[in-house]
Amino acid sequence: MAEEGGRSGGGGGEDREDEDEDSEPVEAIINRIELKSRQVEWLLKSAQYAEALKTALDDSPTKTRDETCKSANWVVVHRVLMASKDTDALLSTLESEFYDILMKYIYRGLSTGDRPTCEQCLRLHEKLTEKAGMGCIVRALADKRHTV
Amino acid sequence: MAAVASHQLAACITCHVWNADLSMVAICPNNNEVHIYKATPARDSVWEKVYTLQQHDQLISGIDWGPISNKIVTASHDRNSYVWTFEGEAWNPTLVILRLNRAAISVKWSPKENKFAVGSGAKVVCICYYETENNWWVSKIIRKKHSSTVTNVSWHPNNVVLATTSTDCKCRVFSVYIKGVDSRGDANTSFGEMKFGEQLFEVCDVFGWTFGVKWSPTGSMLAYVGHNSTICFVRVLGRTATPQVVTLQGLPLRDVLFLSENRLVAGGFDCYPLLFLGDNKGTWKLARCLDEHKQVVRHVKSGSQVCSLTISCSSPYRK
Repeated sequence: MAEEGGRSGGGGGEDREDEDEDSEPVEAIINRIELKSRQVEWLLKSAQYAEALKTALDDSPTKTRDETCKSANWVVVHRVLMASKDTDALLSTLESEFYDILMKYIYRGLSTGDRPTCEQCLRLHEKLTEKAGMGCIVRALADKRHTV
Repeated sequence: MAAVASHQLAACITCHVWNADLSMVAICPNNNEVHIYKATPARDSVWEKVYTLQQHDQLISGIDWGPISNKIVTASHDRNSYVWTFEGEAWNPTLVILRLNRAAISVKWSPKENKFAVGSGAKVVCICYYETENNWWVSKIIRKKHSSTVTNVSWHPNNVVLATTSTDCKCRVFSVYIKGVDSRGDANTSFGEMKFGEQLFEVCDVFGWTFGVKWSPTGSMLAYVGHNSTICFVRVLGRTATPQVVTLQGLPLRDVLFLSENRLVAGGFDCYPLLFLGDNKGTWKLARCLDEHKQVVRHVKSGSQVCSLTISCSSPYRK
């Protein structure tokens, strides 16, 4: 009981340290994203939009705090989101495990302020909410640790 | 399945609890009073207000009614608790100084009712027990670990282990064994040797504020909900915890209630209770909604009103 006082104040900072789950080097993550990017390009060329979206969302660097990784992956996801006007086709075969991560990227898109991106993201937001429900939005907004 | 009957007792109810035989319900109508109603399950019965407990200065945020001792404990934003004893014709209050510098948020009697726990906005949990020689309730404080408000507390059936949820997004389990209050035999648990205030384990698989923690009837499971619209089921074996997070389509939940080891009801901002079932492998799934969807949600004007929809935390348990 003696050390009680000291600990409570420093709670926030201490959290960060012991929960740095991702010790993976940045280069390794970037390499994987580059690989993914080539795959996505190829899928988009053959108009496999739904498949491209899954590939882009898969293994998103949410755990790292490195912004370059996050931006690199956003570029890939953004490329897919903007590739087709047909949002229904894009989302039609998306598995529910990707709903939460896609919602986070949609909010990232909305935060860019870029007009075509925002328009497309709003359309996707409506479609995704129909499929995934309000819970998905709540999770995207609440999760401060695994950001995209 | 729809509600059997509904009674409008107040515009907003911040907390409520049933007595042992379910003949009375105590509610706080969003102020500093507790109103006790005589309740009958009959559909067209009128619930009659029989007692009003007035002693707190501010909003009452937590209430619990001991089924063995028939004592009520209340916790309030005024940072104090009262233990209410029914003597003769009236409920007599005894002040419990919690030694908090922020609001008390929730309160629960321990299974043996020799202690109660209070979660608070001061990032601490108070464990209170009665000292016969001083004729006084003493508050012992766990100051470690929580880095934000403790939203809820739940007692393990062994009377010496407490689970907490907090707005720092974690669920924690502490030893609350108090020498001299608990018997030596009580110290012998599946969690091994432990001393007061020690954290046994924590679960951080939910990435939002956590609420409504409950132990299953045997204490082998733990369930709590996240404000990011998830519910977490934790299998507890000694000090190892195996969590399973279930994500929801709808709005976040606020409270849960185990009906048995593999049945759980949860309620929250969508204004209808959900039933979850655990299969024999211990995997939990949403089974169904226990009320008609109707337009309940439409009637809700603001978020604060929905909070009162936390489910009865005691009734089926104590039948």
